[in-house]
Amino acid sequence: MEHARHVFRVALVLGAVVAAVMVTRGFLVPKSYGMYGPYRYDNVVEQMNVRLPLHRGAAACGECHDDQAKKRAAGGHKNVSCEICHGPLGLHVKDDGSVEAPPVDRSYLLCARCHRKIDGRPARFPQVVLEQHVSGPLEGHACLGCHDPHSPKP
Amino acid sequence: MAPTSTTSLPVLQPEPATPTPPEYGRRQFLADVMRLSGGALVFIAGGTVADALAAVAGKPRGEAYSWDEHLYAYLIDTSKCIGCGSCVRACAAENKVPDGFYRTWIERYVIGMEQTHVDSPNGGKDGFGPVQVGFTATKSFFVPKMCNHCRATPCVQVCPVGASYRTKDGVVMVDTERCIGCAYCVQACPFGSRFISPVTHTAEKCTWCYHRVTKGLKPACVEVCPTGTRQFGDLKREDDPVRLAIARDRVEVLQGHLLTEPQCYYLHLDKEVR
Repeated sequence: MEHARHVFRVALVLGAVVAAVMVTRGFLVPKSYGMYGPYRYDNVVEQMNVRLPLHRGAAACGECHDDQAKKRAAGGHKNVSCEICHGPLGLHVKDDGSVEAPPVDRSYLLCARCHRKIDGRPARFPQVVLEQHVSGPLEGHACLGCHDPHSPKP
Repeated sequence: MAPTSTTSLPVLQPEPATPTPPEYGRRQFLADVMRLSGGALVFIAGGTVADALAAVAGKPRGEAYSWDEHLYAYLIDTSKCIGCGSCVRACAAENKVPDGFYRTWIERYVIGMEQTHVDSPNGGKDGFGPVQVGFTATKSFFVPKMCNHCRATPCVQVCPVGASYRTKDGVVMVDTERCIGCAYCVQACPFGSRFISPVTHTAEKCTWCYHRVTKGLKPACVEVCPTGTRQFGDLKREDDPVRLAIARDRVEVLQGHLLTEPQCYYLHLDKEVR
């Protein structure tokens, strides 16, 4: 009887420890942790909904700016997304429906990003040696004065 | 000493020396332990049963998207890149990337027979200007870089808290809630595509715009790329252009000798590119 009581006590303590570990672990380890591997699966869903997409594509822009969209789609810039020059649509039309004018760089730098002749660009891509194209300093010259960015001609 | 007994069992015993079973014997105790532990297991497992059921279905809870039906890959044709930096700007806007940090960036390689010059001013975010190198350049080109979403990824292996992981559809991501900002993954990445965000103080990286691709959109960088340099594809779609390109063209990956199995494939890569 004495021995049985000793064993019982030890077993009770052991059982209590095991139970405490399991309960603590239940609280500390996130619910979805380990479902697919050593990570929290809930984060996958969180990442899916981290924010609404800001870039919506040229088709979405065309819903309001039909004339510009058609012009662009027919010209040499048909593969140039509206959002490259005008910024993401999500910053122009906010989630609450308010509209903010998109900032557009109207200086020569906007066009120079793609069309300035520099080392690195593929030779077949249309490029301009700015210093030969205009006379005088580059600053102050706006390509947009002569070229229409929505349907550019060389 | 004769054992005492309070039971009212018949006192008919085969041998008087044999003690009667005590009130709470070993057998009884073991049986109780089994019952208790069984109950505890049910208690612990109860919460995860619902998750397990969702896991079997292979669907993130409450979403129409199923990650079992996709396996993403990325293709970069360096011969088409003009270094305009639209992708870097789009990425920064779409993902609110802090200034001075890049989830994707563009490098310019100017190469001569003896020397190579590499530059990436502001990650290529403002485009590139003319460059002066002190040698005779024989070729030059742009190379867009980003997280390679490796299949055997070193960054996930070193994470001590299970914050970095690779999803079933092939995207490597960081759980900001679990990340402790130890930056082991930043050091482990051979492509330099991770950084510690100065805002959250946790690891940040390209997610292939997971919030976009799970809605059927392209990543922001692919969406704005005017030359088709960047392409995003799904290897589980038979007619996918990226899948076909990987299958038929001579594609290359960065740092192949490290055996990380990158899922960003490159066309027309030069030997100087690391």
